[in-house]
Amino acid sequence: MAETVESPGRRRLSPPAVGARPDQRNRPGLLARAGRRRAASAPGANRPGQARAGAFIRRHRLGPYLLLLPSLIGIGLILAWPTIQVGILSFQNFGLGQLSGAAPTQWVGFSNFTNILHDPEFWLALRNTVVFAAAVVVLTLLIGTLVGLLLHHLGRRMATFVSSATLLAWATPVVSASVVFYWLFSPDGGIVDWSLSKLPGWLGGGAHWAAFNWTTSGALPAYTVLTFIVVWMGFPFIAVTVLAGLKTIPAELIEAARVDGASPWRSFWGITYPLMKPIFLVLLLLSIIWDFGVFTQTYLITGELGNRDEYNLSLYAYDKAFTLPPSYGLGAALALILTVILLITTVGYVRASVRQGAIS
Amino acid sequence: MRPRKSIAKHAGPAGLGAVALCATAALAVAGCGSGAPTSSSSGSAAPASLTVWRMGASTPAQVTWMNGVVSQFHKAYPGYAKTAVKVVYVPWTTATTEYTNALSSGKNAPDVTEIGNTETPTNASLGMLANITSEVNGWSNKSDIVPGMLANDTQNGSIYGVPWFGGVRGIWYRTDEFKAAGITSTPTTWAELTSDAKKLQQKYPGTYGLGAPSDYTNAIVSFVWGAGGQVAVQKNGKWTAELNSPQSEAGLKFYADLYLTNKVSPSKYIGQTELGNPGATSGGTNEDFALGKLDMYIDGPWAEPELEQVSAKYKSDWASFPIPSQNGPSPAPAFAGGSDLAVWVSSKYKTADWDLIKEMDSTSNATSFANLQGFFPAFTSQLSGGAYGGSQVMSGFAKAATVTQISPLNAKNWATADTTDQIIPTMMKSLMQGANFTATVNSANTQLENVLNTGSKS
Repeated sequence: MAETVESPGRRRLSPPAVGARPDQRNRPGLLARAGRRRAASAPGANRPGQARAGAFIRRHRLGPYLLLLPSLIGIGLILAWPTIQVGILSFQNFGLGQLSGAAPTQWVGFSNFTNILHDPEFWLALRNTVVFAAAVVVLTLLIGTLVGLLLHHLGRRMATFVSSATLLAWATPVVSASVVFYWLFSPDGGIVDWSLSKLPGWLGGGAHWAAFNWTTSGALPAYTVLTFIVVWMGFPFIAVTVLAGLKTIPAELIEAARVDGASPWRSFWGITYPLMKPIFLVLLLLSIIWDFGVFTQTYLITGELGNRDEYNLSLYAYDKAFTLPPSYGLGAALALILTVILLITTVGYVRASVRQGAIS
Repeated sequence: MRPRKSIAKHAGPAGLGAVALCATAALAVAGCGSGAPTSSSSGSAAPASLTVWRMGASTPAQVTWMNGVVSQFHKAYPGYAKTAVKVVYVPWTTATTEYTNALSSGKNAPDVTEIGNTETPTNASLGMLANITSEVNGWSNKSDIVPGMLANDTQNGSIYGVPWFGGVRGIWYRTDEFKAAGITSTPTTWAELTSDAKKLQQKYPGTYGLGAPSDYTNAIVSFVWGAGGQVAVQKNGKWTAELNSPQSEAGLKFYADLYLTNKVSPSKYIGQTELGNPGATSGGTNEDFALGKLDMYIDGPWAEPELEQVSAKYKSDWASFPIPSQNGPSPAPAFAGGSDLAVWVSSKYKTADWDLIKEMDSTSNATSFANLQGFFPAFTSQLSGGAYGGSQVMSGFAKAATVTQISPLNAKNWATADTTDQIIPTMMKSLMQGANFTATVNSANTQLENVLNTGSKS
């Protein structure tokens, strides 16, 4: 039964769901047409120099590259050049004294990197970052998918209501959301501490929760609060994206599966999930990248930079790079290390998925 | 206004973008900063305006005071009669960011700036402040400055600032509570301090005896010093950290035990500053004391306006005593916090800047300004007069101000040790969370010694 459900879906439907192949088919045609139109309407088209340039461009198929050029220049200016600068800085002792000219800039070899790798606080921050990102990625994807499925099944009015409610959470400014949760978990009259202190002991409550300081009592309580904030703000995007993906799945497939007696669980894993795998992959990658570098919420909730046992890599990097006296060299080295870690994570996933043929 | 914040830990993210851009673009565009500081020795032409950076929030009383100084300045130096003095109030929490931005971008810099005295050595070494040695040497008030305070502003024989006002921490308490608990005199030893805290806690159930926030270096050092220990000592240019000497360990243990064994401080202060969670300006020991939920708390006299703002209900009973030393009777040395006045390195009007500083830091103006905000002037002639004995709140602090210390909190790398690496707060938090005492203190000690000597923990 699984065969009959899956195979037509894969063969016939995944290309449109992926959306890549029709596009590819169209692209050369569009370009060629655009080229022809331009050649015909350009006022100076009969001048030999321009005609020759046009021919050269066409012969060597430079058109696409010319069109890409402006954005390449833009990316080069705002991405590549600063990256090179960061690379240079990471091998220097560059700080405020060097910036103001009060002290000479020196090449320090790998000492910025060894400094960081020998700092136990770096490893603590790395552990906090990885565990937190793993928890939040799993939770946002899970809750987001469930809400997406819910929205797909709700009637029009209810779906509008639920989706606007979730999108409000997504649209809340990060600082406002952090402050609201900070108050909820405040040791001085926060509702969470109050409720927990009123709960009976067999439910985990008790007087010891009164005035419990969630945000400064170590990584576990602080990141519990942060998980609430980041998941709360993160799942609506997943839900809406999943909903968009669900809308592309033909209802007949699901219906056919139901007629064949498949449970919702079975038809999700048999039809929905394989068809939406590329979407889930993109969502997973984005979530990893986002949740790896959560700064604003962490900065506000853990008390700016006051609690080092609660640092993640972003706070650690900010502390090293920008608190007085700033050390831009150390910060640059950290940025490179963070980039490498993220590349390893994401490249692994992309490779795995390419091998599976999910991205063509 | 808040010497604790003068070791400003909590640089806000406001200037992050600018600094970051600048850092990466610096090499590309031949430096964001002013490069070589432009010095102007002439300064004879009257400037159209001078920008003065003041720290903290502006209050009407301070504005009135500053207006008075400016009109005196115009009168005393007719050449500057048309010079506008623009005062910018920079919150302590963002001061370091603002300094960094002004230095790195070369824009929006002040001409004259107030600066937390623990920051002066670091900022001078980073090239922010102008060398004003000859000006200070020719100043009539120089000989009256409390000894040691000017040394803090001196590097390799050059002077980069002058003391403006200072303040010390002591312990706030309430006379009505002491009376009700049967405490007849303020404690002068640690044993008395804990037993009094316990008596108060017993008399007032639901309150705590003495707040001990872990992120409070400037108070913790008093307990190290109060047992005869040192945080670090410098010999022949090399720092040796002494947090693990028996005396220092006694002080650290006493402070941690306020929470751990004596239970006179609640768990929520672990990880907090005296003002609440780091970055907050209320919600901590200060607020709880004003609300009557905490019986004693450590802070300076400058806290009074904020306490009143929270609740003035017990105001008439507020009083202070110095932090006791381990065995009494003289108090533990208090950290001598405060503010200096300095000339910004790239200011074009150094002569006018210095003339304005002399007006702001004249004996009468500095004294009236210090009194205005609960500080003490930096002049011996004003402190020895017994002017503060009559005030219930100020008398304890005035007593504390007679025994002060600043080293090593003014070491060149202290900002790295306390602001960037937060060695003492992190150690105290671990201790209060039950970490192994000896191992934790030893590792903090090694880190501190490395940072003070090399600027790096490892």
